[in-house]
Amino acid sequence: MPVQRPSPSLLPWAATAARLLLGVVFLVAGALKVPDPAAAERAVRAYQLLPEALVPLAAFGLPVLEVAVGLALLVGVAVRAAALGAAVLLVVYLAAIVSAWARGLQIDCGCFSSGGTVAQGQTAYPWDVARDLALLAVAAALARWPRSRLALGGRDLPTAAPTRTETSRAH
Amino acid sequence: MPTDHRPLSGRAAAQQRIAARRAAESAARQAAERRHRQLVGAVVTAVLLVVAVVVVVAVQSSRTSTAADAATPAGTTGGYAFAVGQADAPVTVQLYEDYQCPNCKAFEDAAGSTLEQLVAAGTVRVEYHGMAFLDTSGNDRYSTRALNAAAVVASTAGTDALERFHDLLYANQPAEGGSGLTDEQLVSYAQQAGATGATVSRQITDLTYGDWVAGATEQASKDGVTGTPTVFVDGERLGDLSAAGVTAAVTAAQAG
Repeated sequence: MPVQRPSPSLLPWAATAARLLLGVVFLVAGALKVPDPAAAERAVRAYQLLPEALVPLAAFGLPVLEVAVGLALLVGVAVRAAALGAAVLLVVYLAAIVSAWARGLQIDCGCFSSGGTVAQGQTAYPWDVARDLALLAVAAALARWPRSRLALGGRDLPTAAPTRTETSRAH
Repeated sequence: MPTDHRPLSGRAAAQQRIAARRAAESAARQAAERRHRQLVGAVVTAVLLVVAVVVVVAVQSSRTSTAADAATPAGTTGGYAFAVGQADAPVTVQLYEDYQCPNCKAFEDAAGSTLEQLVAAGTVRVEYHGMAFLDTSGNDRYSTRALNAAAVVASTAGTDALERFHDLLYANQPAEGGSGLTDEQLVSYAQQAGATGATVSRQITDLTYGDWVAGATEQASKDGVTGTPTVFVDGERLGDLSAAGVTAAVTAAQAG
């Protein structure tokens, strides 16, 4: 059996916090786009990046991926893959937001709302970009150190070694 | 008695080597099995995700597609707009508005009378493109009900009545986040605008053109409209939404 290196006791808890943060953000962001499909399409269309034929795929498919990533992170299965998925999604969103900003489009990012529509001077690009960059950093860190507490999956759970003191403290 | 520190006999050393090799083989086998399980898990997850995406795209697409037999109002221009003014007016102004949108009211207050003068002078033909994206449960889908009512008025009493109804709704716009106008109020304003009769009242209450409203909103989005009010003067997006801005853009369009 490979010997498990003792890790600093705080790192798995930080990973749990990262999982919960990203998981909630992605689950909520995905779920909010489901009730009003027409609004989701308008939000995608507002970016003026995709041909009309691909708009439904992005508007309806991306929330599925967001919910899947969010659920995986929340319960703690396939954490590294889910964190990488979150990072890929965030890079795509960042590129889209920055491109809309650069083109001077007056749109809402549609990240957590129906998006698309915004009054002149009401755009929030700096905040959107800062938030997504922060989330991207969290996702990257989680992909690098995916081991965490209170996770359902993963063969290298620290809790698999019940004799260690940090584990007993966790209970 | 031999102790652990003494060299092992050849037989014992051989047994130990065999045991070590077996342990290594077992570990390698377990690692291979784990990799295999991970691969299977990844493939299964990918397939499930693709299936989920396909199913959700299909379901959501069916939710957004409007019925083929959706009722459409009479007298539209291009299916989803109502035009006011002379057909041979040199300049066309396309107006994308939502009856619940406060900035649309601000635009109407600032430039509405200027536009009407330009229409009366025969310079401008205005196309009213409705959108309904500010529906909430709190306002009982006021955006949709108001645009449906506007379609009813235009369909039964013509576009001049629509223009009056349009001005009445902006003059009496309910606060955003409020409860919206009631169907009875919409019927009352329709009558004031000149659309009377039981049919008008019934079509406003029944949301007869509800699917058409969804189609109009969809079409506006496809037209590149991402917010309201959006104004195009002869196809050029208007940046300055003041009376002076409208006048200048119309003058420029006329000269060009």
